[in-house]
Amino acid sequence: MQRELRDLESRGDALSHYQLLGVTADVEGAVVRRAYLERSKRFHPDAWYRRDLGEFGPLLTKWFQRMVVAYEVLSDEETRAAYDSENKRHLSDADRRAVELRELSRAEQDRRERERRARLLRTKGFARIGAARGLFAEAVTLAANGERMQAIAALKAARELDPNRREIASRLAELERDQAKARAASALVSAREREVHQQWASAQSAYVSAFQLDSRNTVAALGAARCAFASGDVQTAATWAGRAVELHPGDVASRMLLAKLFAAQALKAKARAELKVVLELVPDHKEARALLKGL
Amino acid sequence: MAELVIGIDLGTTNSVVASVHGGSPTVIPNRSGYRLTPSVVALARNGKRLVGALARRQAVTNAERTVVAVKRLMGRRFSSKSVQDSLARLPYTVVAGDRDDPRIVLGEQHLSPPEVSAMVLTELRLDAEAFFGEAVTKAVITVPAYFNDGQRAATKDAGRIAGLDVIRIINEPTAASLAYGFGKGQQEKQLAVFDLGGGTFDFTVLHMFKGVFEVEATGGDTLLGGEDFDARIVDWLAEPFKEKHGIDLRTDKMALQRLRDAAEKAKCELSSLKQVEINLPFISATPKSGALHLQSTLTREQLEKLTGDLIQRCLRVCEQVMDDAKVQASQLGDILLVGGQTRMPKIQESVKSLFGRDPSKSVNPDEAVALGAAIQGSMLLHEESDMLLLDVTPHSLGITIAGGFFQRIIPKNTTVPTSAHHVFTTVKDDQTSAKITVVQGEDEVAAKNELLGEFMLTGLRKAPRGGVDIDVIFDISADGIVSVSAIDVQTGVRQSITVTASSGLTEEEIQSATKTNEDWMLGQKEDPDFQDRKTKAEDLFREFEALWPRLTRAAQNGLGQEPLQRAQAALSVARLQVAQKESEGLAGSIDRLERMLGALKGAVERGLGQEGR
Repeated sequence: MQRELRDLESRGDALSHYQLLGVTADVEGAVVRRAYLERSKRFHPDAWYRRDLGEFGPLLTKWFQRMVVAYEVLSDEETRAAYDSENKRHLSDADRRAVELRELSRAEQDRRERERRARLLRTKGFARIGAARGLFAEAVTLAANGERMQAIAALKAARELDPNRREIASRLAELERDQAKARAASALVSAREREVHQQWASAQSAYVSAFQLDSRNTVAALGAARCAFASGDVQTAATWAGRAVELHPGDVASRMLLAKLFAAQALKAKARAELKVVLELVPDHKEARALLKGL
Repeated sequence: MAELVIGIDLGTTNSVVASVHGGSPTVIPNRSGYRLTPSVVALARNGKRLVGALARRQAVTNAERTVVAVKRLMGRRFSSKSVQDSLARLPYTVVAGDRDDPRIVLGEQHLSPPEVSAMVLTELRLDAEAFFGEAVTKAVITVPAYFNDGQRAATKDAGRIAGLDVIRIINEPTAASLAYGFGKGQQEKQLAVFDLGGGTFDFTVLHMFKGVFEVEATGGDTLLGGEDFDARIVDWLAEPFKEKHGIDLRTDKMALQRLRDAAEKAKCELSSLKQVEINLPFISATPKSGALHLQSTLTREQLEKLTGDLIQRCLRVCEQVMDDAKVQASQLGDILLVGGQTRMPKIQESVKSLFGRDPSKSVNPDEAVALGAAIQGSMLLHEESDMLLLDVTPHSLGITIAGGFFQRIIPKNTTVPTSAHHVFTTVKDDQTSAKITVVQGEDEVAAKNELLGEFMLTGLRKAPRGGVDIDVIFDISADGIVSVSAIDVQTGVRQSITVTASSGLTEEEIQSATKTNEDWMLGQKEDPDFQDRKTKAEDLFREFEALWPRLTRAAQNGLGQEPLQRAQAALSVARLQVAQKESEGLAGSIDRLERMLGALKGAVERGLGQEGR
């Protein structure tokens, strides 16, 4: 065990999520989960409860937590695809080929599935209900394996075959909501990265698409506002900041930005109103106070 | 020999103790031979502490000095709505302590909920010690999954007061799933646990594979359980009586206790019968009309109508948790029903219609939780165990930010152990300290969540506002303990603190309560007459031993084996009573042994006389 931990330490950040869980990049969701559960048996601190691990205790916890993160990323199709495309160049040759193969075979599989569903959709009469049930069962398994996109496609076909079955529609809505959230999350990640590199326009568009996917996301709205402001589009920035404030009335950062934007447009009364709210929330906010004085 | 560890299901109404014994989890019967011990503590008229069935039996005649359902008060503030709401229903008196903690008035004493729970735990510990014949100190105790840190801390303190080393607090539904999965080795399955106990409701979705149990999501309601079902029946009985006679029986402690007992009994009977008679003669009296009786017929249908909304509340929690776990009812391999209240036919029907299948009958709803706790204890301490539990945090953990809002740092249903960062920056020029308030809950408004603790980051560098970045790291260990450390990002200076939720007791109070409990146990063991009785019993043992060879001869000469076997049985009972210091039982045994000895001596002498002739 100690050797394993030392080995992990020395290879450190070079390890991909796949290597951490001990799987190749071509395996499906259910295999990832099983691998994670088996690893837990060895790396969860409870497995070593009766032993005094000394200096290795914190290391064990650290690597177990890394495995949890790897599992979380790889167990969702969306985040896994994002991870694959971002980290392709860091993966080992074999895994990179596996990822590419997976993408290819996925495209091929998609095509085949599409054709099969198209055939099913041509089913006539009562058989349609049975076909819908079959597709629903498939979708449930797919979703459990983290294959959300496939599951959504199957559910869409099922809904067309049997529009009256409530569980199909509700499951579909649920999966689409999850998909939007996952996409919003990965859009936010890339938006942040671009913002750090001061690529304002592309960062702004990433924030906007994150917001469109998850319309309650204050972070996305505020990010769009910041980027618009940085690239000099005060009007657009104010609209986004306004949205952020609406979503989260207590967020001081959004209100400060909105106040600055109003001030920049010479809308003094509005700016003052925002600053007063800020000072109510944080009475000794120096910047707000200074800005208010200036107005 | 593997180290002994017991699992305890410390319930609202009943408690159970179990242990993994000879490789298989077993419920340990209490010293009266029952598997369930009522979670009831009383102070009898003669000043003696009564726990369990004894306490429960005298509840009607001593309602004010009998504590029931103390779990509902654990780790809560006196002024909280939940405590205030419970007060009217409890026959005993609860007052506010120094730190807004509830204190139970029991005779002269004002006891905290952990102290009362400790009395139940002590009883279970003594039961286990009597069973194994050796000291038991290590325990795993279960709590409802939805208990917050304060409630868990209170439970842990109760264990400490009872002289137990609580190696882990685990969630009841998870424990039940361990009992279900024990011995199912390699199977892979998704399952759900529907746990409706005496006072709380929990719903948990898990995945099991090769002995690893991964909790996917959990949720519940800490104030929804069998007692609420009883309360509905009590109201249904008391309201018409009030209208007719102008007397509210619920304000009379003794009448209330009788109503509660009758309600619980009726509820249980309605699980198998369609209707029951409730008869409470002499429940009250007026000067005008004399004694008043209460008589009513409750049908199963009526009960279902009275409690329909409670069942609906359970089902809504189930839907929420399945949403969190991203599973559909149809994906679940098995539904386990845990907790006595799940015996109600309407609940079984509702569960069946929500999940589209019959719930599993493979675990005992009363015992599964304690068995699971025992399994977890064995998993932690015993080498040969090949199981692992991956549990999650039931509540989101975060901090209070400007405007009193809640900032989530570790979302609920995150696998523990876990850690997360949050970077703070100074908001004032030359700010040298910052207060961080750690809270637990789901509400956007921080004040509506549970306060875990506050701490000051001090000794910050002097710099213009925004010039100091403080990276605050939140850790939750495998046993759910939250610790926070902070690092000044620029200088690397580190500070750390363990955020222990307060159970309402200070360290000194816990230590003094532990001492009191130890003294009680010693006092318990050293009945003033015990030493005398022990000496007497040991004399008797010697006399029997001396007589034994002659007895065996007499047995062959017509006395027969039977009197010897009876004597042997009585002797082993008495030996056990000496070992367990059961003073009163021993007194009875001494009487019996003396009588036997007299009779046997007589027989031997007669037998010898015959032989001599």
